[in-house]
Amino acid sequence: MNPLLPTPDALPIPGPAPLFTGLLHLTFVVHLIAMNFLLGGGVLLIVALIRRKATGDVHDRTLARLSKLLPTLFSATVTTGVAPLLFMQVLYGNFFYTSSIVMAWPWFSLVLVLIAAYYLMYLNSFRGPALGGARGAVICIAVLLTAFVGFLFSNNTSLMLTPETWGPLYFAAPGGTSLNTGEPMLWPRYAHMVLGAVAVAGLGLALLGRRERGDAELGRHLVRHGLTVFGVMTAVNALGGVGYLMGLKRDVMLLFMGDSPHATGLMGAGIALTLALILLAFRARSRDGAGLGLLSGLTALTLAVMVLMRHEVRDAYLGAAYQPQSFAVQTQTLNIAIFAALLVGGLITVVWMVRKLLQAS
Amino acid sequence: MNYPVWELAMGAGVLMALVSVLHVFVSHFAVGGGLWLVLTEARADRRGDADLRAHVKAQSKVFLLVTLVFGAITGVGIWSTAALISPHGIMALIRAYVWGWAMEWVFFVVEIAAALVYWYGWEKLDARTHRIVGWIYFIAAFMSLVIINGIVTFMLTPGGWLETKEFWTGFFNPTYWPSLVLRTGASLAMAGLFTLLTASFLKKGATRTWATRWSGGWVLAGFGITLLTSFWYDAALAGAMDAVAGTLGLPGWNELTTGALPVLPQVLWYFKLGLVAAMALSLWPLLAPSLWNPAGGVLIFLAGLLAFFGGEWAREAARKPFTIYGYMYSTGVLLADEPALAETGVEASTRWLNPASDTPEARGKDLFRAWCQPCHTMDSYNGLRPFLARWSEEQTAEMLPRLQHMRAQMPGWPAGDRAVADLAAYLRGEGAKGDASFPADPDAAGRLAWDLHCGLCHTVDGYRELRSSLEGMDRGELEELVDGVADLMEEMPPYLGDDVAREHLLNYLETVATPAATEGSES
Repeated sequence: MNPLLPTPDALPIPGPAPLFTGLLHLTFVVHLIAMNFLLGGGVLLIVALIRRKATGDVHDRTLARLSKLLPTLFSATVTTGVAPLLFMQVLYGNFFYTSSIVMAWPWFSLVLVLIAAYYLMYLNSFRGPALGGARGAVICIAVLLTAFVGFLFSNNTSLMLTPETWGPLYFAAPGGTSLNTGEPMLWPRYAHMVLGAVAVAGLGLALLGRRERGDAELGRHLVRHGLTVFGVMTAVNALGGVGYLMGLKRDVMLLFMGDSPHATGLMGAGIALTLALILLAFRARSRDGAGLGLLSGLTALTLAVMVLMRHEVRDAYLGAAYQPQSFAVQTQTLNIAIFAALLVGGLITVVWMVRKLLQAS
Repeated sequence: MNYPVWELAMGAGVLMALVSVLHVFVSHFAVGGGLWLVLTEARADRRGDADLRAHVKAQSKVFLLVTLVFGAITGVGIWSTAALISPHGIMALIRAYVWGWAMEWVFFVVEIAAALVYWYGWEKLDARTHRIVGWIYFIAAFMSLVIINGIVTFMLTPGGWLETKEFWTGFFNPTYWPSLVLRTGASLAMAGLFTLLTASFLKKGATRTWATRWSGGWVLAGFGITLLTSFWYDAALAGAMDAVAGTLGLPGWNELTTGALPVLPQVLWYFKLGLVAAMALSLWPLLAPSLWNPAGGVLIFLAGLLAFFGGEWAREAARKPFTIYGYMYSTGVLLADEPALAETGVEASTRWLNPASDTPEARGKDLFRAWCQPCHTMDSYNGLRPFLARWSEEQTAEMLPRLQHMRAQMPGWPAGDRAVADLAAYLRGEGAKGDASFPADPDAAGRLAWDLHCGLCHTVDGYRELRSSLEGMDRGELEELVDGVADLMEEMPPYLGDDVAREHLLNYLETVATPAATEGSES
């Protein structure tokens, strides 16, 4: 056991560990969808910017549509990101806090980067065309900053898995200026996330096209373009997934290649789903978006499988250092019930408000 | 010490204060502003006042940009900064209150969604639905406050939780209700502050006059509630502190405010000064709305910021040296674990010691980081260098085992001889980089000598006052006292300053001992 690993807090956890794991996975999938729409949507925004030839052409209209949407996706990403971060800390706090301190300044900069990216997104949304030649720079910086947030998260979530690297990094720079760039899994892990985000945003674009009522040409374009992005990027990201697998520690990699039936099963499901997604994407594309519902459902399922695989990686890396069964448990049944009731009520309220807005639009 | 400590020259506390004051300022606006929007919109609708409606719409855009972006992200920022600075504290809070935070998160989601629908729903939703969305926003934002207030007040006055460790006992703690009312008042005032600023840019006319008066009223009423409630809050805080003091042997409220916690009276004064200044300034828009201008808007804004700065700092200061009062020190040590720590010694309990540290100074630095840096810096917040520069290594070594007797409520540091020697060696090295001279002004020099020696544990007239003991002593008696001070009681270290410092100290003590020369001396 690593002597530098802080012991978890003495207070009991206020519910069974599997409940927190479940909530972590559930909220993380939702966050991933929002994050993918945001980050991938940002990349597609840049694509539209590059392809635009004249004011009012279909790419220009795509640009306008995405520009208006991205700040809201930013809000959705942040709000849905809080919950998995919260539930994760109940279980993995001692790992996560230590890795955060090792990379303290970059981690702290998250706040500033997020605020800057968010404001630039709003600037583009509210003032886009008025920015003239600066618009391209505003969009690119906003998207790069958003991608940098993801990079910081990839750093921290990989660093928290390797307690043996903390000591050398921390004692070399106790001022907290380190990143986890010496970690072999970092870049493939990050690349897998970003490529996946662009793919899923492609699907988002197609869904947006399907909803388009007033502008039939734009609707068709969004569906076709979005599904192309989705199909191609999913295929590319399958290779990215192979790279990620190769970047893992050998014994962890082998878990997905037969050593663990559970992990291998998830891997098999992931591969099968990915193939199905690629085929269905091109099928839907040739049929003007028919079958988008099924495709969306399967994409969400794929993301859930990816989250479970990511969880396998985490627990395999931590190994004996992570012992949830050793936590004292004192379940706060009443509070769990209140939370559940509020969550249901809150979601109904949100759905009601959003529906009212969509109906009125 | 379980976690590594982020080495931060400016001081962890300063960074935390910066992030939290900015967030708290905006988050209160997010609560009060919600109510301001719906009430003002309702009036505009009732009267068919298009100008006022335009003002509300413009305000809701400011609202979107300020609360959704800055407020939400700095809220996440408080959390991540606190985890960098006080990981053990956050971990304990998460374990105890994760369901509270989960509930708050639901309100946060509703709040953000409502703010977006409210903004994008202008001219699209019918007036009634639009106002309902506004009300949903306000209720969700207020409920966030209702929940977070429980967790924030818990940290300062956990009350019965210390015994039961039960969620709701800690949540509805002794300062919960006064704090909720106080913060609600502050939220209303914040809505007034922000909207006064925007109203100052409106074109002259009936709408501007009315909106200026209206928002001025929010500041006066809101901060009025805060000011009045602050007496209730102080009483509740004093009671809670005294209750803990009784059972755990810590200083009570009276001691804390008369010198046991040096900074507290000063920041409480900032708080009240900021409140009164903002209330006084609010009379301007109320009485002479036509003269209201952006300069006034900025001024009243700054007064509000001062009040928040003082209030939040006072809350933080009163909690020192604890993260959770009476439960966990800022170093992460639990009060209940102090006896065990005394058994094992600090070295064995410090997890993050660099194996490559092979000199006393290097080992001392590791210890400093783990045990001192959670609250101290060298030159900035709670800076130590002014002391260390004028202390000998021997004197530093005498002080280290006596920290628990100092008046800022420091926890004890039960270290073995080697650890004390290592830390003293490191501190001497840092001290040597500082300025060891005394000011030329004899009064200032005497005061500094007092601060370096007696003032660490005593005040002249307040907490552990010395005046009554010194009064009437002549120079010879004072010299005798200083030189033999270690014989008075075990807790007192010997006087180990040099002759220059001794001379300055004696001069100062003489002014205290001679009644005629005591004017203006305090602390």
